[in-house]
Amino acid sequence: MDAVLDRDHDSRMAHDASLAGHSRSEPRTNRASSTAPLPPGRITAALRAHWLTVLFIGPAIVLVVLVSIYPVFDAIALSLYATKYAEKVRFVGLQNYVELLRDPTIWKAGANSLVYTLGSLFVVIPFSLAVALLLNRPSRIQGILRTIAILPWVISQTITALLWGWLLSADFGPVTYGIDALTGVRVAILASPVWAMVALIWINVWSSYPQATLLLLAALQTIPRELYEAAHIDGAGSTASFRHITLPLIRSTLLVIVIQLTLLYFNMVTLVYVFTGGGPLSSTETLALRVLKTSFENWNLGHGAALGLIITLINLLFSLLYIRTLRSPKP
Amino acid sequence: MSTRKASPVAKTGVIVASLVVAALALLPLLWGLSTALKPTAQILTYPPVWLPHPPTVESFTQVWQQSNLPIYVRNSVWVTVASLVLSLVLAVHAAYGLARFSFRGKAALMVGLLATSMIPGIAILVPLYNLAVHSGLYNTHLAMIIVYAAWNVPMLVWLLKGFFESIPPELEEAALVDGCGRLRAFYLIVLPMSRPGLLAGSIMAVMFVWNDFLIGFTLAISEQKRLLPVGLFTYISNYGVEWGQLMAATVIALLPIIIAFFVLQRFLVQGLMSGAVKG
Repeated sequence: MDAVLDRDHDSRMAHDASLAGHSRSEPRTNRASSTAPLPPGRITAALRAHWLTVLFIGPAIVLVVLVSIYPVFDAIALSLYATKYAEKVRFVGLQNYVELLRDPTIWKAGANSLVYTLGSLFVVIPFSLAVALLLNRPSRIQGILRTIAILPWVISQTITALLWGWLLSADFGPVTYGIDALTGVRVAILASPVWAMVALIWINVWSSYPQATLLLLAALQTIPRELYEAAHIDGAGSTASFRHITLPLIRSTLLVIVIQLTLLYFNMVTLVYVFTGGGPLSSTETLALRVLKTSFENWNLGHGAALGLIITLINLLFSLLYIRTLRSPKP
Repeated sequence: MSTRKASPVAKTGVIVASLVVAALALLPLLWGLSTALKPTAQILTYPPVWLPHPPTVESFTQVWQQSNLPIYVRNSVWVTVASLVLSLVLAVHAAYGLARFSFRGKAALMVGLLATSMIPGIAILVPLYNLAVHSGLYNTHLAMIIVYAAWNVPMLVWLLKGFFESIPPELEEAALVDGCGRLRAFYLIVLPMSRPGLLAGSIMAVMFVWNDFLIGFTLAISEQKRLLPVGLFTYISNYGVEWGQLMAATVIALLPIIIAFFVLQRFLVQGLMSGAVKG
């Protein structure tokens, strides 16, 4: 990357020098005089490189700032106002936050988010690892099995929720029928607060395990076969080699997956909204879903913005953890 | 995975496990397909009728002719294509600039870009709605195209920057010597060589936009502007549930993604490895 095109090399130097001069020495001198000994040709080259940089990178930055960064500040402003539809009515300071934190149903939603996130992680990690181990075995059907196994990943949360809603339908669903045939009990899964959460966690696992599996598979494939062969010669069984070779070598990948999925699950809205809408009796209403409902069903944008920011803060904490994990030396 | 001589028991175990995994992934989809192909009388039955006999495309023709599905499909295709083009044009140049030019604060810019993709979409949905309403772009496809493009740009820039850096600058150098301008060298040499990266990034972006529900849900109100995932959802809440038609609509919505998945699987996996898009 540092091997730069010959013709551009000079312009780059000039460009760097001019930037340095701009920021360090007397701030208001003009660029040409602060980087004095440049012949005119080089100055135009420097300017051109500079222009090209701005022209190439600028538009993307502007768009990202407008659509991803500005809204955060707008949300902060909005969260300090009482709102009516899309209009700010009155500055209320932190009142929106106070009201949210005093609302017991918000804490219930927080608890639901926790159950949903941890419950999904608890199932998805062993499941995705098992599938990855299965796919890592050399076999004739490996390719086609991998294709099938990662298929749920490309199916949208909307369709996953609609499809499983139909599979679990109390009246006509094949899963309901299967349970009925095995146990003699015909359950309305989505009408029970506990079972609705269990079903929600399951369909979340169904739709998200493939990405964990793919990352784990990539990690497994970097482990040299010789390690297993050596362990085998030393008399280690497959359980022992899994514990002492596989697990330590995929540990960092597992950590990354756990953190990525934690964020994904914690912020997930569509799957929950389409599958249960938060019901029955708010038993599957998570914090993220609450933002959507507060904002676009109750039309309280001030509260919605405040709750969204609380979620962002929690995300920030997770992300810091993520960065720390990535930076920590790999074992 | 370790020992060579697998016992018959272990072998059977592996076969059973493979079947279970395949069934878990496939059966829900096949059930949807089976429902879509059933005559109405076989849909609402208990115990369920497993396979349609005879299979019929009745539900497909009904949902295509009697609902607004064609409008939703057209809208989704347009928004997906337009946002892909916009995000590619922006990201390709930004990634090249970041790969080839050196300037102060470049590393910070890259990290900042990555950080924006970590802002949860749900948290900025309200301000985006607000922004759309106050700029007069509410209920337009343009608003959705801009948001989707912006959300895909960080992922594309990170992915493409890596690709551009792996291409030796000497190639461009040679082109420059031959009298090619810097821009032409980029378009004619670097871009074509980065085709795998462009494809991986594009399919990630397309999948995200085609599948996303929230932006279409919050930034549009009218049937005429509605995107496909929102259309499927409102279908279920508006008319009660015609499951045959809903599953037919679902199959139609899934088809392009599944075809793309089978054809471009390799690139999709590569895209995933390079980092996820906003969830």
